[in-house]
Amino acid sequence: MVKWRLLRTEYSPASLNMATDQAVMETVSAGGPPTFRVYEWRPSAISIGYFQGMKEEVDVGVCEERNVEVVRRLTGGGAVFHDEKGEVTYSIIFREGSIELPPKILDAYPLICDGLVRGLKKLGVEAAFRPVNDIIVGKKKISGNAQTRRMGCVLQHGTLLYDVDPELMFTLLLVPDEKMRGKMIAAVKEGITSVRHETGGAASITDVEEALIEGFSEALDIELVPGELSPREKERAEELRRTRYGSREWNFKR
Amino acid sequence: MVPENGISRDEHISMYKVPGGKLLRVRFVLEEEKIASIRFTGDFFLHPEESIEELEEKLRGVEFGEESVLPVMEEFFNTYECVGAEAKDFLVLLFGE
Repeated sequence: MVKWRLLRTEYSPASLNMATDQAVMETVSAGGPPTFRVYEWRPSAISIGYFQGMKEEVDVGVCEERNVEVVRRLTGGGAVFHDEKGEVTYSIIFREGSIELPPKILDAYPLICDGLVRGLKKLGVEAAFRPVNDIIVGKKKISGNAQTRRMGCVLQHGTLLYDVDPELMFTLLLVPDEKMRGKMIAAVKEGITSVRHETGGAASITDVEEALIEGFSEALDIELVPGELSPREKERAEELRRTRYGSREWNFKR
Repeated sequence: MVPENGISRDEHISMYKVPGGKLLRVRFVLEEEKIASIRFTGDFFLHPEESIEELEEKLRGVEFGEESVLPVMEEFFNTYECVGAEAKDFLVLLFGE
């Protein structure tokens, strides 16, 4: 079985989390080991998609007041609230060609997302992929995913809701139409679920991480070998944090 | 709006939710019926991501009409992969349904 590196970096600030994904992609691009990483966010944070307008999506003032960090991702997609108590994130980074994927990115999502479906099954949760990039339980979303391809690599990261507070989420996020705020919160409450809810609180964050590790190993037929970030990767991540993911220029560029 | 130099300049904002897809937004300035600047935002995917700037650049100076914008959009979306929206959705965003 092909061996991949497993990273469990636990809790980091948003800018460092996003910088780490890019730093790892750079090493993978240069011939480093394909990597699966699970992590969490502290303080709580909002990440927005590459193309989103920060001030269109996020109430930046309220985020500052509440010590919620904001960051622009390298990947497209929507705004995500990464609650430090309520969320597990993964990233998977490999050179194009190291696993067989359909050429179109759209078609590659279900293949990689199968790791989440299998992971959730380990926790006793029956989930399914819903195009374009979501995982659902019944009709409710439990995970959102985003992929990019650059430097000869595929990077997909995604979030798995562990516990969810829609009221708090919509204190931090703006809604396209203020008159619709109440309806939108209600729709989100109806439309999302969490591991905690689905398992009746039986699974801890660590259990979720382990389930994801097993799920992705199975889905991609790989062996995940526990490893660490190299000193060079750590240094590069700190640099990217300063120059990009922690900078106003990047985070507010749209 | 006609400022003192006589060049008409209008700023526009528009939003369109692709059915079963993503939310597209645009902000653009028209000068004398031509696109002077344009900025797309939203929760779509486009690969490679930086190509959005190429599209915005290509639309600068183009007359604001479906006949003029359509070929630019078609060429762009034939070259790059967009997930969650298509060329026609960007046209609806700009010109309505």
